[in-house]
Formats: sequence, C-alpha cells, structure tokens
Amino acid sequence: MNKDHAALAADFNKDEARVDWHDETLWFVRAKRDRAAAQVPDWEVLRETASRIKDNVLSNLSEYLRRFEAEATRNGIVVHWAADAAEHNEIVLSILRNHQVDRMVKSKSMLTEECQLNEFLHANGVEVVDTDLGERVVQLAEEPPSHIVLPCIHWKKEEIGELFHQHLGTPKGNADPQFLTHAARLHLREKFLTRRAALTGVNFAVAETGEFVVCTNEGNADMGAHLADVHIACMGIEKLVPERRHLGVFLRLLTRSATGQPITTYSSHFRKPRPGQEMHIVLVDNGRSTHLGRKDFRNSLKCIRCAACFNTCPVYRRSGGHSYHTAVAGPIGSILSPNLDLKKYSDLPFASTLCGSCSNVCPVKIDIHEQLYKWRQVIVQEGNAPAGKTAAMKTMSWVLSNPGVYHKAGRMGRWFMLNVPFTVKNRFNAWFHQRELPDAPKQSFGDWYKKNRKHG
Amino acid sequence: MRRSRVLGIGIRKIENMGSRDSILGRVKANQPEQRELPEDHAGPEGVSGDLTPRFISVVEAIGGAVFLVSGFDRIVTILREQFPEVRKVVSGCSQLGSFAAATTLAAGLGDPHGLADVDLAILPAHFGVAENGACWLTEGRMVERVLPLITQNLVLVVRRDAIVATMHQAYARIAEIEAGGSYGFAAFIAGPSKTADIEQSLVLGAHGPKSLTVFLLDEHLSDAGFF
Amino acid sequence: MRVGLFIPCYVDQFYPQVGIATLELLEKSGCEVVYPPNQTCCGQPMANSGFEHLTKDCTALFVKNFAEFDYIVSPSGSCVLHIKEHAHENGGLHDKIFELVEFLTDVLKITAVDASFPYRVGLHQSCHGQRGLHLAQMTELMAPPFSKPMQLLNMVKDIQLIELDRKDECCGFGGTFCVTEEAVSVKMGKDRVADHLKHCAEYITGSDMSCLMHMEGILKRQGSAVRVKHIAEILNNNHE
Repeated sequence: MNKDHAALAADFNKDEARVDWHDETLWFVRAKRDRAAAQVPDWEVLRETASRIKDNVLSNLSEYLRRFEAEATRNGIVVHWAADAAEHNEIVLSILRNHQVDRMVKSKSMLTEECQLNEFLHANGVEVVDTDLGERVVQLAEEPPSHIVLPCIHWKKEEIGELFHQHLGTPKGNADPQFLTHAARLHLREKFLTRRAALTGVNFAVAETGEFVVCTNEGNADMGAHLADVHIACMGIEKLVPERRHLGVFLRLLTRSATGQPITTYSSHFRKPRPGQEMHIVLVDNGRSTHLGRKDFRNSLKCIRCAACFNTCPVYRRSGGHSYHTAVAGPIGSILSPNLDLKKYSDLPFASTLCGSCSNVCPVKIDIHEQLYKWRQVIVQEGNAPAGKTAAMKTMSWVLSNPGVYHKAGRMGRWFMLNVPFTVKNRFNAWFHQRELPDAPKQSFGDWYKKNRKHG
Repeated sequence: MRRSRVLGIGIRKIENMGSRDSILGRVKANQPEQRELPEDHAGPEGVSGDLTPRFISVVEAIGGAVFLVSGFDRIVTILREQFPEVRKVVSGCSQLGSFAAATTLAAGLGDPHGLADVDLAILPAHFGVAENGACWLTEGRMVERVLPLITQNLVLVVRRDAIVATMHQAYARIAEIEAGGSYGFAAFIAGPSKTADIEQSLVLGAHGPKSLTVFLLDEHLSDAGFF
Repeated sequence: MRVGLFIPCYVDQFYPQVGIATLELLEKSGCEVVYPPNQTCCGQPMANSGFEHLTKDCTALFVKNFAEFDYIVSPSGSCVLHIKEHAHENGGLHDKIFELVEFLTDVLKITAVDASFPYRVGLHQSCHGQRGLHLAQMTELMAPPFSKPMQLLNMVKDIQLIELDRKDECCGFGGTFCVTEEAVSVKMGKDRVADHLKHCAEYITGSDMSCLMHMEGILKRQGSAVRVKHIAEILNNNHE
C-alpha cells in the first residue's frame, strides 16, 4: 500500500528542525517574489493580461497548434505528436536511434519527468545526463526533483558536498556552494562537449512564428543544444502563446514569480535548426486534451510552471515535494495530477487548508484553491472517499439537519468531555496528539440565550 | 502498432498522423467557448526620462558590470585592464581593431566545438532592456550560437540610446528589426550565468560565462567623467 | 434593523462567550438581534471534505431559520464564506449575510467602541475572512493595504498591536485537515504561535474561533500563558 500525502508528510515532519529549514528557505523565495512584483507598477494588470491571453489560447488551441506546426515545419523543425507519455518516450528514443546516439544531455523539462523519460531511455540503453545543477544533484542521488524550479531545494549543502565527493571526487567535507558549482561546471562541460544529442523543455511556443523559448539561468539548455547534432524539444500542447509580442507579458511575469529575478539569464528563442543540425519538437497530449474539456478544471492548463504556488503554500513548505508522489507537486500539481489518475492522486486535493494564497500568486490567475475544493467533490462522488469517512459524513449530515439531535449530541459530547475526559483525551484522537482540547462549558450559547433572552 | 524505427523521417511522420489527428480532434471538441485576446498592454504608465541609470543598476544587481563609454578605443583600454590574462578572444565587433586581431581565431570555426577554449567573446547587441538588464542579440551577431555561452567571459556592446524600458517595447523593437524576415535563433542575455540551486546561495558562473560586461556606447560623452 | 445571529456550531458548544460577546456588541450598536434556536451548522465541514452533495438539508434548515431577517451576522468568516459561495440553494441569503467585523465596519460603520484592552495583542488573519471576504488586504497582491479588523482594534483603548513576521500565513486548522493531516496542521499552528510569541503577544485575536481554538490547543499543550480571545470579546470589553 503506497503512502498518501498525509503519511508522507507525517514522516517529513519527524525532523522538525529540517522542516523549519525547508519552510524558511521556500518562504525566502516567496519573499523575493514579493519584492520583485512590488517593483512592477503594473503587476496586477500583467497578471490579468496573461490570464486572458491564456484563456484565448485554450479557446483556440486546435487552431494555434496547427499554425505552430505549419510555421515550425516551414522553418525546418520536425514536428512530432505524442498522444501519451509512452508515445513521447518512443518518439524520443527513435530519434536518438536514427542518429545512433546512446548518450544525451538534458535540460530541465517537467514534461519528461511526467513521462518518466529518463527511466525509459535508461532501460533502452541510452545514458541521460541532467545538466541543470539541481537536477544533476537529484539524478546522482537517484531520486525525483521535489520542486519544479528548484529541484534539490530539499538538499542541504553538506549533503550535496558529500554526494559530489562520492560521484565527482570533490574533497570530503567541502560544502562551499561556489566550489561545488564550479566542480559541476567542469563535470558537465565535458558532457556538453561530447554529446551529440540534447533534449530541452519548452517554456513558451509561439503559434505565429513557429519558434519556442527556453529560459535558464545556468545556460545549460543552450550549451547542450548549440553543440549537439540533434536538438529535441519536448512540450505540453498547452504551452503556446498566440504571437511573439505576447512573450513580453509572460517573460515579465515568469521569473519574478519563480525566483524573484527580473528575468532568467538566458531567454533563448529557437526558430530554425543550426545549419547542419536537426531540430525536433515533440508535442505531447498525455491527458491535456481531456482536461481541456473539464469546465471546472481546464484553467489549470494555463500554468506556466513558475512554482510561485509551491513557495507560498504553507502545506508544501512543511511537507516537501516528495510527499505529493507525483512529477509536479504543490498546489498546481494537486489539481493537475487527478486528471492523470484520479484514484492514485485522490489524496492531493485534500493536502490543503484552502487558504487561497496560491491563487493570489499565480501569474495567470488560475483559481487553484477553488479547483482543489471542486476536485474534492469529484473524488468523493467517484467513490474514492474512505468508507469510514462517508459513513461519518452521512451521520453528520443527519445530525446537523435535525436541531433536536444536534442539541442532544452537543450536550452529550460536552458531558463526556467534562466527566469522562479520557473518552476524548486519548491517543486515538488525532486532535489530541499535540494539542489540548477546548474546555467544555456547562452550557452552550443556545442554552445561555434561552435563559437570558426572552426571544425564542 | 509502430513500424520500424530505422525508416526515415518521412515515414515516421506518417506513423504519427494517427496521433496528430486524434489529438487535434479531441482538442477541437473540448476547447471552451471563444475568449478574445485582451487589449494590448504596453507596460506601466508614466515611464519617461533617461533609462541608463535604471539599466545600469539592474545589470549590476544581477552580477554584471557596466561601462559607459564614448568609443571602441575606450572599450579596448578597459578590456585590457579587466581581462589582462586572456589568451583567446573572439569578437563579433569589427571595430575592435588590434585587440581582437592580436588573437588567433581557431581554424574550422564552422564547428562550434572549436570555441571551447575561448576566454573572452565581444558581441554587439541590438538593444538593452532597462527593467531587467537584458540585452538582445540575434544569431547573426553571435558568430556562432554557442559562443555567448561557451566563452568564459562575455562582453556585450550596445548603444546607450538603444535601451528600451520594458519587454513590451523590446518586442516592438524586435518586430522592427526583423521586419521582412526573422532570425533562426536569438536570445535575451541578462547578466552572467548563475545558479542558486545549492541552498539558495547565489553563485555566478554556472555553465555559461562567469562574467558579463556591458559597454554602453555614447559618442556624445566626453572622455572625462564617466563610469 | 433585524439581525439574525448565526453562531457556528463549535462556538455554540465550546465558546459560548464569543456568541454572547457578538450578541451584546450588536445590541450596543443599536440592532435588534434574534438568535433562531433551531440553527445548527452551515455545512462547511461536510462540503470542504467533498460531501457538498450531503449539505442540502443543512442548507435548507439554514434558509428556513434565517430568511426572515434583514441581515444575518456571524462571528465566523469561514462559515459566512461557505454560505455565500458553496451553499448553492441559499435562497438569496448571500447578499444579507455578513461576518461580524465587516458588518461593523461596512454596514453599521462604527467609529468607536467602549472598550479598553491594555495588553500586547497579535492579530491572526483567518484565511477565509481575509482572502474570501476581503476583510484585509492580502500580502500576495500588489495593492494598497487595508484591514477591517485592525480598524476596529485600533478603536480599543490602550491596546498594543504587535507586528508579525508573516502577516497572513494560514494557521493550519483547515476543517477536517486538522486531523486528517495532523502533522502538518500542528506544525503550521506551532509556527503561527511562535511568530506571536516571538513578538511578545499576550493575547492572540482574530475573527474565526476555529483558528483560535487550534492555536489555543497548541499554546495550552506548551503550557504557555498566552491566551486567545475572539475579536468580539475584545471589542465588547470582555475581560477575565
């Protein structure tokens, strides 16, 4: 039986000092986002503009996809379509095999995480080196990233130092970020210079011009692509923008939302392959076209993968990305993943207090907290609530619809709390593990009102 | 289900038609009611005046260095001071005269791998963006696409009067530059390469250049009294 | 004006003094206040757990109890928000229902309270009241600051309102979340409490007793002398 979010989060919380560190680090990123947004006088107008551009994209997606394909093809990019993750992986493998390539560098692509591409290629004899520093760390550690922008945010520098000591031969005990980054630079430079194939993600694709944009701070996407004979770009079909000028809106929002920087170091616009190079783009559906048909949930397809919602989420910060047991974690992941597998991810929409902070930081105004609420209704209606919970809720509904029963239950509950406290103050009561119960008053407000006011 | 993968690209595309058509069909069936594009947004109101101070402060905040200069001879002087030990210099600016000519370009420049040992690359950018310190250049100005990334140190030269306020003006400018054709590759470059992946500690110099220097050219400057 | 007083179920059972303070505050402000005795609950605990479809009877009972009033006022932001947004057959009551703080500032528009509270007080911004009912500006938005609860607390004599490191982070109660995700819920509550303690609060106040109940549970387990007090009690000059 796989553990659900609550169980994984409980494990995560066993080390309270570490939770504090994880929470403080991510809150720091949220604070940087706030400072960056405060410097943009038209920030809220930008959010509204971006949201409406993406609404337009979703309502014309088939047309924009056709246009993108036509333009990209005209420019010499080979366009592929993958209905699902398996097909995506097969396409990538077939391109590599066509070029007799069995070693590849890869820059960050959450889509390839979603498709579990690395494992597939590995099983088929292809070595993949993740070149984003954070991704390389988790790759060496043989675990998935815990954050879609900051993949190893859950790793302390001492731990990275030890990992690099084991895999890259850095001196034991050296935890200096500067030194470790430089070691990674040398280690990965050798890969860039020797690999003939590079795979990148896509931040935005432009229907008007057939180009796509890849944003990095490290320059790893460019180092891979510009040295490779084959550049494969992988993209979810929802990542389009209508026209090149719309990039202005999104590039102003993306990095400020993600890390608090005004823009990434590199915003690379790929339109044609380098002379002598082959450039491929794989357009992936994997459930997106189905999700597009869900009136209550389609807005989640506007996501530009900035992770601002992760950084602001008090639950994510205190449970960590791995507690969500899915490629894209956090609030957005909790409303995207149930589309992929309702049963497997039925715990995620409940991993929230519905505080609403996520919706406020979302640069494209996805109504995340409302979708979390709505997914809960769907999950229960589809029969995925635990049987005990359903029974308890039916009882609750009956009690709360019958004032007489409610009053009696309330009186009884308080009587037990006052006179037989161990019935509630015991280890079976989850509230009681780490909190005291409220004191039980002798009379309810209703009782007081009856005695002290003439009405009713 | 899938035919042999060793067949050429044309055959592979036919194989994919099934998926293409089914994806597009599902998308078209499921896409919501038409939502119009919003009105054009051109950025914050009331931005005026000299954009240079803002551009400079942002570039410095993101780890770059900026020099305001009146001409290329000043650039050469400063580069000699800032990078006294460079061996291999590649320049996309013809005006650098002896500085770039004094170094030898590797033979076989057509292979980007030949640029792996470049210490310093000097390239002309089309314009800069004040709100984020980015400079824009297309591949025609890069010598090779990989050069701005593979060099250990990057220098960009941009006209001071070619700084725009925000990304909205940037894309308007790009539309003017590209009218009648369009680049195969282009990039905004803002500062040196960097990462904060290790415990949010900012480190300059990830996989791209370790340093970025921007020269703002303004012929009207006198030689005395600038940065 | 006739005001129907809506008291959340857990306030009715465990914190009657908050209901009493709310009632007295409204009466002092000149309202005729009636407490329909057959009210039970707004239905939120079921709806937020995915059982919105079981809340019809609960909602119908609510409408039956409250349809006759000019206004419905409740000392609970989350209950009011639920009625407005998730109780779909609410008989048009969503225009008449107000949380206490916003009723005082926006409808009664009070400018003074006869209260003194000479203590260091931390204000906890309950999420549903703040982000749902807009009782105060949200730190995520680039927009002018305002706070209706602060506006009222500033009318109280001798009160010392403290600053917090995180002004509007959730306390972690979240309804059934408080037991289904107990570890995270408690950690969130502990962190909220720690923020107030760091700034030397003697009392933590707010407009939702559910949040305060959760933080009180943690404070008591810690053996802390810091107490919670609903904003109605402070405004109504209720001292121990």
